[in-house]
Amino acid sequence: MAPTDIEGSSRWALDEAEAKRLQKEARQFKGESLWTDARRRLRRNRTASFAMWFLVMFGGTSVLAPLLPLPSPKALSLRDDAAPPEWPWAEPAPLPKPPAKGTAATKATRNLWNNGWRHRTTLVVDAADTAALERAASWAADLTGRAPVVEVHAAGSGGLEGYLSVPMLRDDVPRVDYAELSDGGSVNTWDVAASEGRDAFSVISLSLIDAEGESFDPALVSAAQADVRGRRLRVLLSRATSVEGRAAWLVEAELRNGLAHPVDVILVGGRIVSEGPGLTDAARSGEQSARARLSEGIEHADLGRRAAASLAAAPIDGVRYAGTSYEDGYWPFTGLVGALDDLLIEARIAIFGSWQTGNWMGTDSKGRDLMSRIVWGSRTSILVALIASACSLLIGVLYGAFSGFVGGRVDNLMMRIVDILYSIPFIFVVIFLITMVQGLAEARPDLEIDRELVFFLVIGAIYWLTMARVVRGQVLSLKNTEFIEAARVMGASTLRILLTHVVPNVLSIVIVYLTLTIPAIMLFEAFLSFLGLGVEPPKVSWGLLAVDGTQVINPIKSYWWLVVFPALAMGSTLLALNVLGDGLRDALDPKMRGRS
Amino acid sequence: MLRFLFRRLVWLAITLLVVMSVSFFLMKNVPGGPFDGERKLDAQIEANIQKKYHLDWPLWRQFAHYVGPFNLDDERALLASGDGGLVLWRSELAEGEPTTAFGGVLAGDFGPSFRYKDFTVNDILAQSLPISMLLGVLSMMFAIALGVSAGIASALRPGSGIDLSLRLAATAGIALPNFVIASFLVIVLVFMLPLLPVAGWGTIRHMLLPGFCLGLVFAAYIARLTRTGMLETLSADYIRTAHAKGLSSRTVVMRHALKGGLLPVVSYLGPATAGILTGSLVIERIFFIPGTGSHFINAATNRDYTLAMGVTILFTVLVYVLNTVVDMAYTLLDPRIDLEDE
Repeated sequence: MAPTDIEGSSRWALDEAEAKRLQKEARQFKGESLWTDARRRLRRNRTASFAMWFLVMFGGTSVLAPLLPLPSPKALSLRDDAAPPEWPWAEPAPLPKPPAKGTAATKATRNLWNNGWRHRTTLVVDAADTAALERAASWAADLTGRAPVVEVHAAGSGGLEGYLSVPMLRDDVPRVDYAELSDGGSVNTWDVAASEGRDAFSVISLSLIDAEGESFDPALVSAAQADVRGRRLRVLLSRATSVEGRAAWLVEAELRNGLAHPVDVILVGGRIVSEGPGLTDAARSGEQSARARLSEGIEHADLGRRAAASLAAAPIDGVRYAGTSYEDGYWPFTGLVGALDDLLIEARIAIFGSWQTGNWMGTDSKGRDLMSRIVWGSRTSILVALIASACSLLIGVLYGAFSGFVGGRVDNLMMRIVDILYSIPFIFVVIFLITMVQGLAEARPDLEIDRELVFFLVIGAIYWLTMARVVRGQVLSLKNTEFIEAARVMGASTLRILLTHVVPNVLSIVIVYLTLTIPAIMLFEAFLSFLGLGVEPPKVSWGLLAVDGTQVINPIKSYWWLVVFPALAMGSTLLALNVLGDGLRDALDPKMRGRS
Repeated sequence: MLRFLFRRLVWLAITLLVVMSVSFFLMKNVPGGPFDGERKLDAQIEANIQKKYHLDWPLWRQFAHYVGPFNLDDERALLASGDGGLVLWRSELAEGEPTTAFGGVLAGDFGPSFRYKDFTVNDILAQSLPISMLLGVLSMMFAIALGVSAGIASALRPGSGIDLSLRLAATAGIALPNFVIASFLVIVLVFMLPLLPVAGWGTIRHMLLPGFCLGLVFAAYIARLTRTGMLETLSADYIRTAHAKGLSSRTVVMRHALKGGLLPVVSYLGPATAGILTGSLVIERIFFIPGTGSHFINAATNRDYTLAMGVTILFTVLVYVLNTVVDMAYTLLDPRIDLEDE
């Protein structure tokens, strides 16, 4: 540059190339966003990233629980004592012999071997030897369209007693789709059967149940039809012939309130206007047994009947049909999660067949496998934590943001309310509330209070306080920052300011507090379970497992595995969550940026 | 200071009113009372019971009687008449019968227990509260002693093995529920090395294990807070000055750094008290200690509503008062904070 150009514009004058280079450089320069920075810092924090991987793996295990070849979390064994852990390579301890046939070989004892798949129909056959059992297995596969799982448990006097377990999924369970039944509140019994014609069904029982739950004499049905509001009509229908592919041989329909003319096809005396059998005394006993069979699920998918009929028609050498039993699955999820679980169970059967892990962590005092209980219990604990923290998130963020935005007197009052709530020892109030809700649910079953939902909501409702404070503080300080003002000066709309400046800043701190709230809620769940106010058996949660562990402590025999393994699972997860929360706070706190 | 106390008092009154009325009206609206047994009671007996516990009164009067401060009981009241209404003065008291003008929670009377016949809630509280208090104080002492010394130890050598192991222990202490820790300790200290009795209450040896288990979580928190506070204080200028004056490091830490470093701990004492009360529910149940916590759990599950409400109210007041005391102590320790600032 020439020395004569010292003054004037020359100092800023750039030649063409220089200007282009600078422009290009400026264009290429990208600011680092909060999140990239946070991710970088989190990755550098070794313990926190380890905790994160640990949590991801643990969450994956818990979601994929139906896929894992674990024993059932609820299947009892005949051992009357907790068994210590066994090494993975150890030969599994032989199960005690089931009762001899014809003595006490009841369905209940057979179900002790249920392996905990979602829904299971077990065909029991007596087989003369292994070859006969194999023949029986292929017969069962043909019959059901599913590969059966063959279990041989004991040699009876005449041969083997084999269990052909045919895992069935939810779709096979008799189910009534209420949407099909309801016709704008005006439904009659024949609407149920209308799709296939009334001849396809026969009515087994029809009873009107009044509010007190006393069953109503069907003979009086026509007299009562004028006043059916608030009552429930219960219809048990049976198919005249079983339908292939349709599981519901027996359908129970409950038509709820608001029936306009529900009983117009019933005549006085309980006789039905059709060819169907009336409710004579004989029919009534038939109804009873049908009802019993329905609740026991023997007629599930009509499998038992079909199996017996098929075997009678074409006997297999050395195989005798002994019975069918059905058991509900452990985890009655419905909807999307249930569908996923079904898929996972199918996958498990395809991959592992009947193989399952031994009692690597021992069993509890009822003989249930501890490892399986821990994995399945994690689902409950995670669910509690997620729902409750979502609840606290919703209340806390809305409350805090509103308080912060409005400011002034309203803010002052709202924060004072939070202060008051802070100073109440909440546990007492919560226990008080939960016991009262429990009492209400017992006394008024018609209200259909979902105790667990209340439990989630109550927990969520007390953990919002910190969240509200934090969010309010953040919003308050953000409202007056320069960068928001600058954005406003530059003409950004309120929405843009909210979305690009306020939300990310609040979000980071919300995430941090969420990671710290979740372990607190899990601890609280454990605490309530310990006091007997939490999740109810047969569901499992980590709190219940820890409680089981503490209850068997005695000086005579130490069941250390019942204490150690649940505590390890719980402790490591909570530890990881705490570490991750701390790490996230370090990573996301703008004040910590630049320092390391 | 007076203004601050007055304001706290007003908020306490509001808090109490909310707690009392919410729990009272909830309790009254829940079907099924403490007297529902297996057998249905005779109508006359039921009426008598209702009369004895004033369940036949209109709701507002039950509430007013429960809250106080005036006793509305017909027998000895100053302010009542028989048919549910009120008159200002009852002159027709029998000769020599004592008149109790005041009653209800505001007069310190929590009413009769529904389940423990012949006991009032006050009797039960008077029996059990000292036990819980003793346990609470003991565990608080454990927590402070253990937490502060661990915190100082790790703050003096940050990054050392001691620091890391203490921090890990503290995080584990926070992450594990106290009943799990308690059961570990019972297995080790009672069954494996028979040093301490399993459960019960009475001698010092009975108190050690429960107190320790209860205090452990709070020790962990206090250790964390002490460490952070001490680290911050130790890097302050006045500490460097003290070192430069040639004071021994022991004096510097004990006399100069500790005061500043413990400030966060002091503000934590309020929540810690509430936490210890909460934790005592579990610990008392594990070790079979007849304290207020176990009475509360029994009362809640047995629907002994007056007892449950009494404990709730008492503990609310206790926590509130302790929080206020802690706040006041905080201003004494740290002159920069002004109570009027609220």
